[in-house]
Amino acid sequence: MSNILAIAHKELKSYFASPIAYVVIGFAAILFGWFFINLLYYFDRMSLQAGGGFGGPETVNVNEMLISPLFLNVSVILLFTLPLVTMRTYSEEKRSGTIELLLTAPLTDVQIVVGKFLGALVLYAAMMGVTVVHIGFLFAFGNPEWQPVLTGYLGLLLMGGCFLSLGLFVSSLTRNQIIAGMITFAVFLMFWVINWIATFTGPTTQAVLNYLSITEHLNDFARGVIDTKHLVYYVSFIAFSLFLTVRAVDSERWRG
Amino acid sequence: MIEVQNLTKRYGPFTAVSDVSFRVERGEILGFLGPNGAGKTTTMRVLTGYMPPSEGKAVVAGYDVFEQPLEAKRRTGYLPETPPLYPEMSVRDYLTFVSKIKGVPRGERKSRVESSMERTRIADVADRHCGKLSKGYRQRVGLAQALLHNPEVLILDEPTAGLDPKQIIETRQLIKQLAGDHTIILSTHILPEVSQTCQRVVIINKGRVVAVDTPDNLTSKLRGSETMYVQVDAAGADAKSALETVAGVTRVIAADTRGGVTGYEVESGSGEDVRRQLAAAVVQRGWGLLELRPLRMSLEEIFLSLTTEESPAETAPPAETAHE
Ligand SMILES: Nc1ncnc2c1ncn2[C@@H]1O[C@H](COP(=O)(O)OP(=O)(O)O)[C@@H](O)[C@H]1O
Ligand SMILES: [Mg+2]
Repeated sequence: MSNILAIAHKELKSYFASPIAYVVIGFAAILFGWFFINLLYYFDRMSLQAGGGFGGPETVNVNEMLISPLFLNVSVILLFTLPLVTMRTYSEEKRSGTIELLLTAPLTDVQIVVGKFLGALVLYAAMMGVTVVHIGFLFAFGNPEWQPVLTGYLGLLLMGGCFLSLGLFVSSLTRNQIIAGMITFAVFLMFWVINWIATFTGPTTQAVLNYLSITEHLNDFARGVIDTKHLVYYVSFIAFSLFLTVRAVDSERWRG
Repeated sequence: MIEVQNLTKRYGPFTAVSDVSFRVERGEILGFLGPNGAGKTTTMRVLTGYMPPSEGKAVVAGYDVFEQPLEAKRRTGYLPETPPLYPEMSVRDYLTFVSKIKGVPRGERKSRVESSMERTRIADVADRHCGKLSKGYRQRVGLAQALLHNPEVLILDEPTAGLDPKQIIETRQLIKQLAGDHTIILSTHILPEVSQTCQRVVIINKGRVVAVDTPDNLTSKLRGSETMYVQVDAAGADAKSALETVAGVTRVIAADTRGGVTGYEVESGSGEDVRRQLAAAVVQRGWGLLELRPLRMSLEEIFLSLTTEESPAETAPPAETAHE
């Protein structure tokens, strides 16, 4: 465990030593803010129509109309920022030769992979941490339920974990971080597009595609429901990607 | 301490290391000598557990590097060909990180980091970023990293490559100091390095071991005879035929002449020491004996003769010349 934390800590430090951490956090804050303002504006209009302005009877639910859609929009932010987070993880170590330090230290491959994943996850949590300000604003001026907010954040953490583990895997395949970033973006896009395609297909295909889609599983979390089905999906997705990463690192050892 | 048995490593169809075997005893410095592409780095990467062998095995500090990698790695310090530094970390932060992943207990980390910086003389750059260091410092930080957990075995891949002459001497001295406490393998493609630092040499070429011995033994074994260099001021007399009459001498060649002083290369049978007789022969005739020393085949010549046997065309000329 202390080995995992040592790697995670080192990863985090390197994110904050380079512009990457600031770029992704800034980008997430701006994009989230933009979604927030738009949805707030929309919500404001809806509640005006429904109840005749602020102070009138609340007939529009702030959770359903604002927070939940806001969380669902986060996948767009992840699509653009998380490839930046994971692209270096393995590629840069391979290019610079520091991978030799890690692979000849008394560490297991699993410890290295999990440590890198944790480091990225903490950076991602910091990105999402910025959005607490926006949501806090709603709590200050309105009266939303806190439960869907918590489950929503849990869903976001898990969804981000899926993207990060996938990005880590892609990064383990190449020593060029730019290529890693681009492939990761393409893969994310594919997962993102899946449920869009699903809307054009028949019911069976749609169900399958929806199940595969990373973002589709967020819906229930954003609504305040923790369904084991989605939990299992996210956790096994992350575990499987990390497993593939370990395999990729190991097979590279054999090939040299 | 280190035992390599029939080690073979293939990259796809290409065999980089073929059936290599050797042993290193506790406290010894073994030189791993070979031209570029000989398979030195590959062998070291197998020894450090970076990659598994295709065939054969390697035992380090009593643990098979493939069967019990963590145990072997705990006892090994490794300086790869390019020092594995994180450019954005300060030297001290870097070494602290390395001490963590090498399992140095929390309470000892600080003192281990400081003492290995002390030993490698990098304390003055402790707060500098690794990415901003000169080549010499990078190499030394790499060495500090290898020493950090006080490993029984040190594996150093070309530790002096890219250093200036002063740094090379310092690094060699440091390595010599480390022997005894540590068992060391160091690779090099530079010949004087092994004769100056190592007790034993493995010469490798094209993935195969071509010789294993002490630098001295290698030198004498490879010659069927001994050669002395004798410089005589004979004041015009014929010193050559006089030297030829000495018992045991098989051949005399005039090597150089400078202002009446002539240097001769005197060959005798292997194992025969004719120095006393040579000196007497010169002095009894009233000539001046200006110099008398054994001429040994330089490691460079040995190296060339060993490595050219198999591939006369491909052996690159060595980068430095031997001193002896
Ligand atoms: N990862 C690799 N993939 C394929 N070939 C390699 C790899 N690493 C080294 N080689 C080849 O193996 C041979 C030995 O290389 P190396 O062990 O680096 O030699 P040295 O360290 O003695 O210069 C060289 O011909 C080199 O090109
Ligand atoms: Mg090499």
